[in-house]
Amino acid sequence: MKKGRNVSRKIEGGLIGLLKKIFFIDLLTGMSVTLGYNLGKSITMRYPHEEKWIPYPRFRGVHTLNRDDEGRELCVACELCVAACPTDCITVVPEEDLTGRGIADRVPKVWTVNLVRCLFCGYCEDACPTTAVRLSRDYELATTDFSRTVRNRDELLQPPAIPETVKGGVVVEARYDKKNMKVRANMLRQKDWWKSKLNLG
Amino acid sequence: MEQIFFIGFAVLAIVSALAVVSLRNPVHSALCLMVCLFQVACIFVLLRSPFLAVVQIFIYVGAVMVLFLFVVMILDIRKVMLGSLVGKRSGFVYAIMPLVTLEFLLVIFKGGLGKVASNIPSGEEVKVAVIGKELFTKYLFPFEVVSILLLVAMVGAIVLAKDRDEGA
Amino acid sequence: MFELADITTFIVSISVFLILFVKVYVVAAVLFSLPIPLTWIERKVAGHIQVRLGPFTVGPHGILQPIADTLKSFSKEDVIPEKADRLIFILAPLIALVPACMVFVAIPFGESVTIPYINYELTLYIADMNVALLYILAISGLGIYGIIFGGWASNSKYAVLGGLRSAAQMISYEVALSFAAIGVVMLSNSLSLVEIVKSQAGGFWNWNLFYLPVGPVWFIIFIIAGIAEINRIPFDLPEDEGTLGAGFSVEYSGMKFAFFPLAEYIAMTTVSILAVLMFLGGWNTPFPGAPVVPPIFWFGIKVLAFIYFFMWTRFTFPRYRYDQLMTIGWKILIPICLVNLLVTGFMRILL
Repeated sequence: MKKGRNVSRKIEGGLIGLLKKIFFIDLLTGMSVTLGYNLGKSITMRYPHEEKWIPYPRFRGVHTLNRDDEGRELCVACELCVAACPTDCITVVPEEDLTGRGIADRVPKVWTVNLVRCLFCGYCEDACPTTAVRLSRDYELATTDFSRTVRNRDELLQPPAIPETVKGGVVVEARYDKKNMKVRANMLRQKDWWKSKLNLG
Repeated sequence: MEQIFFIGFAVLAIVSALAVVSLRNPVHSALCLMVCLFQVACIFVLLRSPFLAVVQIFIYVGAVMVLFLFVVMILDIRKVMLGSLVGKRSGFVYAIMPLVTLEFLLVIFKGGLGKVASNIPSGEEVKVAVIGKELFTKYLFPFEVVSILLLVAMVGAIVLAKDRDEGA
Repeated sequence: MFELADITTFIVSISVFLILFVKVYVVAAVLFSLPIPLTWIERKVAGHIQVRLGPFTVGPHGILQPIADTLKSFSKEDVIPEKADRLIFILAPLIALVPACMVFVAIPFGESVTIPYINYELTLYIADMNVALLYILAISGLGIYGIIFGGWASNSKYAVLGGLRSAAQMISYEVALSFAAIGVVMLSNSLSLVEIVKSQAGGFWNWNLFYLPVGPVWFIIFIIAGIAEINRIPFDLPEDEGTLGAGFSVEYSGMKFAFFPLAEYIAMTTVSILAVLMFLGGWNTPFPGAPVVPPIFWFGIKVLAFIYFFMWTRFTFPRYRYDQLMTIGWKILIPICLVNLLVTGFMRILL
């Protein structure tokens, strides 16, 4: 004789539980919840075509090389970032320069980063003595062209798409630029983005 | 027109019935049996009794065959296909076969099969209500006997399937 | 040579045949294009219930997505497993699809319309059988063979388990489904669907659903058993992704696979239509005083509401365990059916 087989199971919750089962109360509760969702607003971000997420400043995206206020390159080609890099993805070749291109007479002749190797740890940022290298908030790195995975100095010296002054943590209106395969932000939208629209330019 | 349809259905029914017994793979046999029963249902339609046709599909094709398949699918097909149903006692089988055939033929041609539903006008579509009334008035006793037979079979099946150690 | 009467009868019979042909053609065309809007609606409903948007890329609001899916299914490689039973493997999707379509021979979409100018009265059904309800139940029950054969022929353990589950489930719930049909037949005194709808004419209080107290019970039994018959959540154990991969259809690909969802959608429509005809008064208007709209409009609204209901439940409920499924079928539904049958019988005799 198997144990517990003939023990009549008590109905959970007594009479009310039974009535609940007869009238499918639990099922109806679940269905009312899903109906509410069905009629409510969806939270989907239509990413490439209509909306785009602007990350917080702490986000670590692709590298950027900064300039000072007078437009001189901050990088002094000290190669500390190369030393700090755990994946050896940064290449720096220094050269002497007296034209005032950089803040010192030592400037990088070559400064490339291999984004396929990079793990976006941010050690180069920490190592940099002149705040020249910073990780920007650009995260659209997918490409069909393998040469695009290595970024050189001229590209990195361009100001990042999202300026450091923008606070981030918001969804902005965006449009998909098919030709350049890039998502461009139109408007900046704060947390209650449906109320105020800031022009990002 | 009706003749052509009848011949079509009948030929298909006989061919599929032959296939049931001659095919080695039990699942193929089951498929053929399904086809056969379906053709019989079609012949019922030609005989102006759609109710019987639908019931044939409902019960035999729809329910009984599913149970057949349920059992057949659990079998090890390769082993079953190698073996033969007619084993050592094949002489007995060959002896009994003509007898059974003879019996069937006698029942069909000499028996009272044609006289049963005499009070239902032939050639007209049989109404469901008529069948129901006949079953529960004239043929009540056979109907109940069949019900009890089914009940007995069900009880037997439950007894067979019960836990063996429970009685000990 | 020929009498005039002969020629007239010949023309009449030819025209009757032609009209029948056109009707069948229209129904078949609608049936085969039905899954296109239904998959889109289902995915949209799924999306919004899960607080997302569903398909959005192909066409405005993703409305062309089903066409893209169809093209994809057509262009996919059609794989047949090496050790599969080739013949049955190829036949199974057809066996699933054909009965699902055959059912529509007996389904009425309305009583009749008079075509203007030629004053011809066109009936909105292909055949008004006097055993229509039984026919639909019998034929729709055959669709299960597609699943059983498909599962077995795949020569894969998951598929076989899906097929076996499907067989057992179908046997269990067809009993309850037939009982619900018997209940409706007792309430309406006919097996013909046109007669059943006619008996519910004149306001929603005449519907079988509101034949208190047994009507709602029959309705709920029918809905539960119907969902189980068409293998949808919460009873979709034959294709239980959690435990069986994709169940019976795990080895199918391309257009052969597409036949199974196609059959499922058609079966879902059948159950919706059947529920509307049997319990919700078919094409009868719920409010007799309301402004007159074509009966087909009411019919369509009700059927659509049911289809939405099935999708709604699909994305709300979790799946039942197999033993729970069997318990519901045999220990709850069938006893309730028997008691309800008795009550219905007494009510019909005494009231």
